[in-house]
Amino acid sequence: MAELGYIALLLALLASVYSVFAFIFGKRGSSPALLSSARNGMLVVCGLVSVSVLALAYSLITHDFQVEYVASYTSSDMSFPFLISALWAGNDGSLLFWAWLLAVFGAVVTLQKRDAGRELLPYASTVILLTEIFFLILLLFVANPFVRLNFTPSEGQGLNPLLQNPGMLFHPPSLLSGYVAFTIPFAFAVSALLTRRLGDEWIVAVRRWTLAAWLFLGLGNLIGAWWAYVELGWGGYWAWDPVENASLMPWLVGTAFLHSIMMQRRRGILKVWNMVLIILTFSLSIFGTFLTRSGILSSVHAFADTTMGPFFLVFIGIILFGSLGLLYYRSDWLKSEAEMESVVSRESTFLINNLLLVGAAFAIFLGTVFPVISEAVRGVKITVGAPWFNQVNGPIFLAIILLAGLCSLIGWRRASVSNLMRNFLWPMVAALILALVIFIFGARQPYALLAFFLCAFVLFTILYEWFRGTKARHNIRSENYLKAFFGLIGANRPRYGGYIVHIGIVLIAIGVIGSSFYNVEKEVTLKPGESVSIASYTLTFESRDTFQTQSKTVDSATLTVASGGRLLGKITPSKFLQNNYDQAVTEVAIRSSLIEDLYIILIGWDEGDTATSFKVIVNPLVAWMWVGGVILLMGGLISMWPQQQRLPAQNNEEAKESARKVGDRKSQQKGRSNQRGAVSSGRSSSGARR
Amino acid sequence: MFKKKRFLIGGIIILLALGYLGYTSFAGAATYYYKVNEVLAKGSSVIGSNLRVEGHVPLDSVVRESAGRLIKFPITDNTSGQSIPVVYQGVVPDTFKAGNDVVVEGVLGSDGTFLAQTIMTKCPSKYEPVTQ
Repeated sequence: MAELGYIALLLALLASVYSVFAFIFGKRGSSPALLSSARNGMLVVCGLVSVSVLALAYSLITHDFQVEYVASYTSSDMSFPFLISALWAGNDGSLLFWAWLLAVFGAVVTLQKRDAGRELLPYASTVILLTEIFFLILLLFVANPFVRLNFTPSEGQGLNPLLQNPGMLFHPPSLLSGYVAFTIPFAFAVSALLTRRLGDEWIVAVRRWTLAAWLFLGLGNLIGAWWAYVELGWGGYWAWDPVENASLMPWLVGTAFLHSIMMQRRRGILKVWNMVLIILTFSLSIFGTFLTRSGILSSVHAFADTTMGPFFLVFIGIILFGSLGLLYYRSDWLKSEAEMESVVSRESTFLINNLLLVGAAFAIFLGTVFPVISEAVRGVKITVGAPWFNQVNGPIFLAIILLAGLCSLIGWRRASVSNLMRNFLWPMVAALILALVIFIFGARQPYALLAFFLCAFVLFTILYEWFRGTKARHNIRSENYLKAFFGLIGANRPRYGGYIVHIGIVLIAIGVIGSSFYNVEKEVTLKPGESVSIASYTLTFESRDTFQTQSKTVDSATLTVASGGRLLGKITPSKFLQNNYDQAVTEVAIRSSLIEDLYIILIGWDEGDTATSFKVIVNPLVAWMWVGGVILLMGGLISMWPQQQRLPAQNNEEAKESARKVGDRKSQQKGRSNQRGAVSSGRSSSGARR
Repeated sequence: MFKKKRFLIGGIIILLALGYLGYTSFAGAATYYYKVNEVLAKGSSVIGSNLRVEGHVPLDSVVRESAGRLIKFPITDNTSGQSIPVVYQGVVPDTFKAGNDVVVEGVLGSDGTFLAQTIMTKCPSKYEPVTQ
């Protein structure tokens, strides 16, 4: 079976190479037969890589321990879901999973019913296939998951018990899907550059892919944070670990990209910037994939030091230099069609938001690779820790949140300041009142107060905007308010989906602010019967017991929780040692409410003594992070939901016009001292989706 | 596209602000990363400053006291065999185990003992056979 998997990959490589040539020659020679064959080739690649994945899955499920990968990551007692999750548990398997996702997405792109972007498909498919070829080469020659041992172990090593948690089932696939899905917009961007179809066509063609990639990546990060919080058990959810950063950076740049393509569609500006952003996003996705397996940076995630580093670096180099070079060649075709008219405009907020997001990503990048740079420059490794990242990114993210609030009430092109003040009055007042209330209730930290105020402001601006929209619709259509509300969302799904996503982000921010500024922790050793008090809780240690289950030995401590004299319940942090795995796992106990989490870690004890050590933490508002995540998902899905709309003008012609004019101008350059600025074609935004 | 200078100025201001933020936060957060023998070679010049030290924890060398809240172990250099005694108070990560490589972050005291605030490990036993 394993051999079948390897052969399938080999055949997939051949099919991919064939398809690349067929697409290129089919497109250049305008041969429909060749193009059709190439498209079939893409589907064949998908089928073959799927066979390969199934082969690995089969080996995992049937416990074929002679396959080295199966022996390394599974054992006979693992349940079915975790056997499947072993597909991405190890380096080789996760590369195969990457290749499979890309092949599937490529097939979907090929089969998608397409209004926009048909002409872009051949070269876009070529880019997708070239990326696929890279991963197939890695799999076939450097990281083969189907290697057989020359003996058959009687038992596998099993999955590290820390990984046997629902997070393992969702976090890697979500992240990997996000990384892989960003290949599609990148492929269409490169195709647009190659074919000189540089209007909005490529953006329209990939809007849903971009959204989906962004959603997968964002949720993958959030699930990872949740998993760290409930399983790794240090009381936190984000440590600015290099691999965490590696998946945050493409998401930040991807967020900037999502916003600035809206600007291109509305006003025809920022075309070069959009290209740069998607190139960066894709490069960072590959970089993120690389970071987990290079051994360059010490991290809790890093797979063992492997020889793959140079391959990835070369690939990223090709991507960056190739696409940026192509961009430079085509820059004449990407002139803006309009100007930025006013600092007080929605364009302005989007622009600042872009600067801040890319700035944050850059700061995170610097901080992450700093040890490598400092070692190269000064011969000594200098690391920057969590405090640096928090201090730099805190203000940036707050500013971004503020912009999210401002943008919904500022008009395009130019907004009058007085109009602005009127729009912001009620949300500002409401937010101030809320901040005052929080202050009265005891919150005194100025930074936290400011942050809460901004979050409240954004929430109120969005709700105010919804209220006004609903009221207008109610007045115009005489629908009742409820129907008007849902009708409003249904008729403007991208817009209201976006608002819902903003609400989700603000909720996540509230969770982060609460748990960062107001968390309390205590370490204590208790004998049975002794108590400790923290925040409003009193915890009394009852007993510590040991018992055996079929697969592990469990040490569990029981404490009673009381607050204000009232008994709330019991809580049981524990540690367990699996029979076949030489590592203990601490299971934290969390008592969660919307206000705060009571979080208890069983630290340890001396043998033969009943005294037991605990770390007790109270984390306020953490639950809002997960609530925000669910709302973010909902908003993203609403935004992606298909909606009947007229297709906007492609504007390829306008781009061609611009390029021709630039060409004319350049050839008349001698003798002229004045250069006119960008061609203004008066793209109208009135009447378009507001 | 940016006809008005104020866009350019605004953008530059934002970038400068970010740069300033990054620079000022750096002073307090920069941490040197050394191997064990490098720390010993530097001697007293690194006492008192925040460091990360990478090394190996020998088998059977970990002493746990205070009902699990304090652990002591030597961190040794992989090549030269030199070691520094480490004392750590707090929650020990599950993946910490004698016989593996580890990175500790903390401060070297004048008595030569390293007071660790953080212990970082990799997921070691994934790639080595479980020694039964």
